[in-house]
Amino acid sequence: MAVEIPKRLEDLPTSSPRWVGREVKRIEDPELLTGRTQFIDNVVLPGMLHCAILRSPLAHARVASIDVSAAEGMPEVAAVITGEDALRWSFPAASSPEGWGSHCLATDKVRFAGEPVAAVAATSRYVAEDALELIVVDYEPLEVVADARKATESESPLLFEERGTNVMLQRVFTWGEVEEVFREADHVFTEKFRWNRVGANPIETFGVISEWNPVDGSLTCRGSYQSPSFMGLGRSASLGLPSNKVRIISQPHGGSFGGKGGGRGTDITALLSRKAGGRPVKWIEDRMEYLTAGGSQAWDRQYQASLAVEPDGRVTGLKVELLDDLGATGEGFGSISAAKPLSAFTGPYTIGVAQYDLTLVATNKLPASPYRGMGPPPHNFVLEQMMDIAARSLGIDPAEMRRRNYIQPDQFPYTIPSGNEYDSGDYEAALDKVLEMAEYRELRRQQAEAREQGRHLGIGVASTIEPGVFDWNSYAIVGMPGVGVPEGATVSFDILGKVTVRVGFSLEGQGQYTLAAQLIGDYFGLEMEDVRVVALDTQSAPPHFGPGGSRLGVALTGAILGACERIKEKLVKLAAVLLQTEPGSVELMDGALRVKGMPEAAIPLAQVVGAMLARSDLLPPDVDPRPEATFVWTAPGRTPADEEGRAKSYLTAANACHVVLVEIDAETGKVEILKYLIADDCGTRLNPATVEGMTQGGVAQGVGAALLEEYVYDPEGQLLTSTFMDYLLPTIHEVPMTEKAALVTPSPFSPLGAKGCGEGAIHAAPAAVMCAVNDALAPLGVLATEVPATPNRLWKLIQGAKSLSPGD
Amino acid sequence: MVTTRKVHLTVNGVAHEAFVEPRMTLADFLRGELALVGTHVGCEHGVCGACTVLLDGRTVRACLMLAVQADGAELMTVEGLDEDGRLHPIQEAFLEEHGLQCGFCTPGFLLTVYELLADSPEPSDDAIMDALGGQICRCTGYQPILASVRLAAAKLRQGRAAGAA
Repeated sequence: MAVEIPKRLEDLPTSSPRWVGREVKRIEDPELLTGRTQFIDNVVLPGMLHCAILRSPLAHARVASIDVSAAEGMPEVAAVITGEDALRWSFPAASSPEGWGSHCLATDKVRFAGEPVAAVAATSRYVAEDALELIVVDYEPLEVVADARKATESESPLLFEERGTNVMLQRVFTWGEVEEVFREADHVFTEKFRWNRVGANPIETFGVISEWNPVDGSLTCRGSYQSPSFMGLGRSASLGLPSNKVRIISQPHGGSFGGKGGGRGTDITALLSRKAGGRPVKWIEDRMEYLTAGGSQAWDRQYQASLAVEPDGRVTGLKVELLDDLGATGEGFGSISAAKPLSAFTGPYTIGVAQYDLTLVATNKLPASPYRGMGPPPHNFVLEQMMDIAARSLGIDPAEMRRRNYIQPDQFPYTIPSGNEYDSGDYEAALDKVLEMAEYRELRRQQAEAREQGRHLGIGVASTIEPGVFDWNSYAIVGMPGVGVPEGATVSFDILGKVTVRVGFSLEGQGQYTLAAQLIGDYFGLEMEDVRVVALDTQSAPPHFGPGGSRLGVALTGAILGACERIKEKLVKLAAVLLQTEPGSVELMDGALRVKGMPEAAIPLAQVVGAMLARSDLLPPDVDPRPEATFVWTAPGRTPADEEGRAKSYLTAANACHVVLVEIDAETGKVEILKYLIADDCGTRLNPATVEGMTQGGVAQGVGAALLEEYVYDPEGQLLTSTFMDYLLPTIHEVPMTEKAALVTPSPFSPLGAKGCGEGAIHAAPAAVMCAVNDALAPLGVLATEVPATPNRLWKLIQGAKSLSPGD
Repeated sequence: MVTTRKVHLTVNGVAHEAFVEPRMTLADFLRGELALVGTHVGCEHGVCGACTVLLDGRTVRACLMLAVQADGAELMTVEGLDEDGRLHPIQEAFLEEHGLQCGFCTPGFLLTVYELLADSPEPSDDAIMDALGGQICRCTGYQPILASVRLAAAKLRQGRAAGAA
């Protein structure tokens, strides 16, 4: 039977929500604050061994021979595995695009520095690392290609010789009469940009304990898994096991941001456990392993973009050419980051036609992974710089430039050229709000004054869309099948009226357990502490994906409210018997089942639940006597992608406008952020404190990407930034304290009108910071087109400008 | 042949005596030998600060010290903050101001704040930021942490005032 999911807060069966929409304290926090949350490295199993991994020092080489005899001879060593074991017991990892995966241990050659070549299971990590030193590998070096452009050339060394090319995908997607629009445009602006590799870096690295059962050939893996079922499917493929014989248990984990990785580590420990007769094997990735060989790196991009613009500033067309360096294999699914921009290709603007010339290429670098935002952050950086380039050239203020191009509130639902449909929004209202907060005119006056004093102040205004509730169809162009991403939850009452919610994902930091308790609390009139949330393993959980793609808050709301509706149906039937009326006359409101129109004829919900489990004599024959229900929610109305990749993909479209004031020190090239203001709209805010936390965290990562963070490789494919001394994560000194305002335009399509909101700020922050940097540089006549805009890069630009300027 | 050394130390008020390999880090000792797993290891090279504990009242990186170097010391870890699950005012402040998301870096922050507020009951924002400059949080963007520390300082001052009255 169809279930109606409440689309507005007012549709909840409560006269006044006590939890949903309010800033509630998180139920996750007491355990986290006292250090009692069970992160994977806290888990100890009987007989457990510890794994250490031997990694290639070379980026491209043939593995001529490996001698593990000395390591195997150590008494504390239980198992050593090499490529031979990988060939015997596993397959190349699933990849995107398909056919670019490799085994978890190098079988014939290594394709990146840090690639695993052997692994040891021993009684402690210390001993396991000792054993690695006894393994002798003979490498025959091969020519390295660490440059994406060179990798596309015919004389380039090949990563996968059998494929005959390093180009994993090359296609031009054309949406509308692009050539005609550009031919007829009054102005066409074209620029090149470089976005260097950045990545997730959760403070907890990946960890796993794998346990092989030699009797029934099944595998149990406990780990810090962001997407348990997806990881299980991947292991089923790479280890050649039936999917129901891979059991994944997701432990609470210390962040992920899409870049937790874990495929290889799981496969390696699985093979070690198998070789060690089924003893559990733990591997905790260390930070250097994470940085050089984990899920750490994303978005290594060379762009060329063109805008077609009318004299009044209206943008009519957008062309984007992207060369994306995915590294050595497609195993990290970094490719989907190149596909995701289709869901908001033209941003918040009414740009009518667009083209995407996409090349994905393999090089001898770490395989790229997803990272928060999944690809639009670089795309938005490019689009927003192009908006400013056009605005500067036409003498239009950047805020005004955006205003002239916004999709208007009465145009929703609005289909963009690349196929996605935006649900709702009022972009101009967000712009107005943030300009008011910034005192924009006054800010411009201050800037003019500062410029006269020779200071380099810049103001950035950036408007972006955050596609929310990801769908597989948005990644169709890189080979991901399917439409719809199910998320399930089971809600159960016990005999005393307390609730347990069972889900398929574990804690990661976004406060989803709290959200579950808020929803159940308001739906059934309970206190939040009456609700407990537990994560199930993949063999017990309903279908799920877990956090990712600004989706889980909305999807979990749908799943839980669906389950609540189903429980209500059962309770209503029983309550009708107890109230001696028809089910059609009974309603749930404020934690009681009552006769409609007669609030005094009411029975507390706990009493009805108790009767269901303890008064079988009262049960009507057609009532299922379980005060429990499972509901699996998928986004409604999604469509398969057409040949040009167009689909109704992400269900919701949140929007944000960021205004940033920076000052560049011309002597050092250092950027200081003086002001940071945000107005955003993600529909109904289910827990505003959490949303605000996500926003501020996204700003931090966005500022890092714009100014600090970069994975630097040398031409031999050696990573030069393999510690936190070199890969610079923003500290409290670099992250601006922001001023935030919320607008609320509920989604007409989603549960309670909420929009995906976990990634919004990183969609906008790099664009906004770089708009400000370029606004500061504009009087010098130079443009910063490469991120991160490090002091070194900006200093060189400024010096170049000075040498060009005759008056200086 | 593995040699071990005997160490005596006090952690959260409890005396311990153990034989450890000289190469064992303090973090691994606390986590593996004493099962005090609230001390988290984030980078193992002293930058992220997740493993910060107090040694004789001063913050140290448990990943950069060997257990044998802590011989004779008095240590405090995150497990020493709450009383049988009742949160310390610093923990309460982080809860109320949403000063954590994934919570993995949090123990290091809490102990750093503990040291700061012991030294300086009413710190300026600059002093708070200086104290926290060596702790990395990848989730929160620090703003709620700053608010948490301000609130923690106020709570502790109130507590002291109530205690003195």
